[in-house]
Amino acid sequence: MQDSAGARRPYLQPLSRSWWLKHSFFLRYMLREATVLPLLFFCGCLLAGLYSLAQGESQYQSWLTFMAQPWVIALNALVLLASLYHAKTFFELFPRVMPLLPAPLMIAGQWLGTIAVALLLLWLFGVIG
Amino acid sequence: MSQPKRSDEPIWWALFSAGGVCFAVIIPGLVLTIGLLYPLGLLPEPALSYTRVQSLLHSWWGLPGLILAGSAICLPLFHAMHRVHHGLHDLKLAKGRLAKILCYGLASLLSAVAIFYSGIIA
Repeated sequence: MQDSAGARRPYLQPLSRSWWLKHSFFLRYMLREATVLPLLFFCGCLLAGLYSLAQGESQYQSWLTFMAQPWVIALNALVLLASLYHAKTFFELFPRVMPLLPAPLMIAGQWLGTIAVALLLLWLFGVIG
Repeated sequence: MSQPKRSDEPIWWALFSAGGVCFAVIIPGLVLTIGLLYPLGLLPEPALSYTRVQSLLHSWWGLPGLILAGSAICLPLFHAMHRVHHGLHDLKLAKGRLAKILCYGLASLLSAVAIFYSGIIA
């Protein structure tokens, strides 16, 4: 006896669009995925900054004015939070993918990298040193 | 027997992964200084002046500008658009080739613009 379709027909459970709201694990997954939305905003800001820099001093000044708008500062505060949440999840992943050292050590080492870059930038912009 | 088709996923995953490192290590300090402290007036005034930023990015044959564009714009863009691509699938908003081409195409296009204006080609 031969099935007319000629192949198995597995049952696929229909998945609703709101599946990720049903469990806190899925919710945290979606929250991590969503950290890229503020990131896209910041990348756009930097790209606009590079473009304005190439256009001349007055364009660059208006970019600085744009960056000082309250809603832009608020969104950039969200970018900072998103980047730190992403960093937490990303740093915890590395020792699981490549267990070279004890996990807490690897996670701490990566946070040190983030802190070092921040300190370097603060030094570059004349806050410290 | 036909050869199995080679997947292009390693390319996108490598860019996603490299962008993830930049997002975690470089973006926090950058958004803290450029996006928050400077606009709030908490950095010395000349820190981001036109002449200072211009000379900073264009010194050393434009290498600092290229590093900034690559690590703070291009790679994070590929990271973000990879997650957007898969997020569209997760939310059942889009799937298939078109969404993929649009996502990685946008990341590529904006990356090219960023490198062009980074000052390395001038």
